[in-house]
Amino acid sequence: MSRRMAVILMLLGLAAITAIAQQDPQGVKVPDAEQFVGKPKGTPLTGDDLTRKTQDIAASLRCPVCQGLAIADSPSEMATNMKGQVRELLARGYTQEQIFSYFERSYGQFVLLKPKFQGVNTLVWVLPVLALALGVIIVFAKIRNLEKAPEPKNAAAESAAPAETPEEDPYLARVRKLVKGDNS
Amino acid sequence: MNRTVLLIGIVITAALLVVLYFGLGKDPQHIDSPLIGRLAPSFALKAVGSGETIDLARYRGKPVVLNFWATWCRPCWEEHPTLTATAKSVGDQVQFVGVVFQDDESKIVDFLRERGWAYPTLVDEKGKTAIAYGVGGVPETFFLDRKGNIVAKFEGPMSPQDLEVNLAKAMK
Repeated sequence: MSRRMAVILMLLGLAAITAIAQQDPQGVKVPDAEQFVGKPKGTPLTGDDLTRKTQDIAASLRCPVCQGLAIADSPSEMATNMKGQVRELLARGYTQEQIFSYFERSYGQFVLLKPKFQGVNTLVWVLPVLALALGVIIVFAKIRNLEKAPEPKNAAAESAAPAETPEEDPYLARVRKLVKGDNS
Repeated sequence: MNRTVLLIGIVITAALLVVLYFGLGKDPQHIDSPLIGRLAPSFALKAVGSGETIDLARYRGKPVVLNFWATWCRPCWEEHPTLTATAKSVGDQVQFVGVVFQDDESKIVDFLRERGWAYPTLVDEKGKTAIAYGVGGVPETFFLDRKGNIVAKFEGPMSPQDLEVNLAKAMK
């Protein structure tokens, strides 16, 4: 048997197991991702890859019954069920994009912890960058203004003006003289 | 230069305030359902008590009120009399269906025996039906028209008026 044939048989077997899992002998059938996002477009994951990818995706999906928690961090039953479903979908070969689409179809963009770059959400991405850019412009403008600032015109006049500094104060000069013992 | 910078600053601040206004004014638990106007996710689930498997498709042709609820949810207790009374009064014209959300079947049976049992209540396997419908808490009710499309969603306990208004949408 060729290697390609073995892979095809394995995938067919997986599809059959999935179909059985989705519809038990009593005829129970839960809504399935295939109904919404079609057939899996990726490679079925197993082992550490499956665990790692499940964790990655779970960290990006919001738990609908919690306050701003990812399903990866929530101990709620809902989050556990959603995480279980993410794992199951990855094991069946669904891609990250398909999984996001599946949950987004039910919950809308609410379920995505990282908002998409579209519509009003664009502001969430653009405004902080604009604000930062504006801040940088202001700082550079200020620095430039300081560098360009002219020397004080009255520098000479200031030196010639009557001294206000303690060294030049006549009273202080007299006191110093007295302290030094110069009585002339 | 200063005037330009000031203008840009005002524009950015105004935009941020708009985003905050709309963001903070929202109920953080409210979910705008993208399913409204779409065909309801199909399912066939086991009914509490009888064990019979009920396929949603069997109700195609009449409006369906699909109520996600649980016995641990106090607001679900509040709306239960409204749902059972309406289900009894409308008879075969509208199909009411309950879906158990994160609860034990035995508790559901006890609850229904004590407080009235007017329509099938189904057990949701691993919450997959709730997830497919985008349920973010209970009670939550979906209204399906005769073609099986979701026409409305109601979050929280329904008063008879709420039920009537949404039912009218499903019966159009």
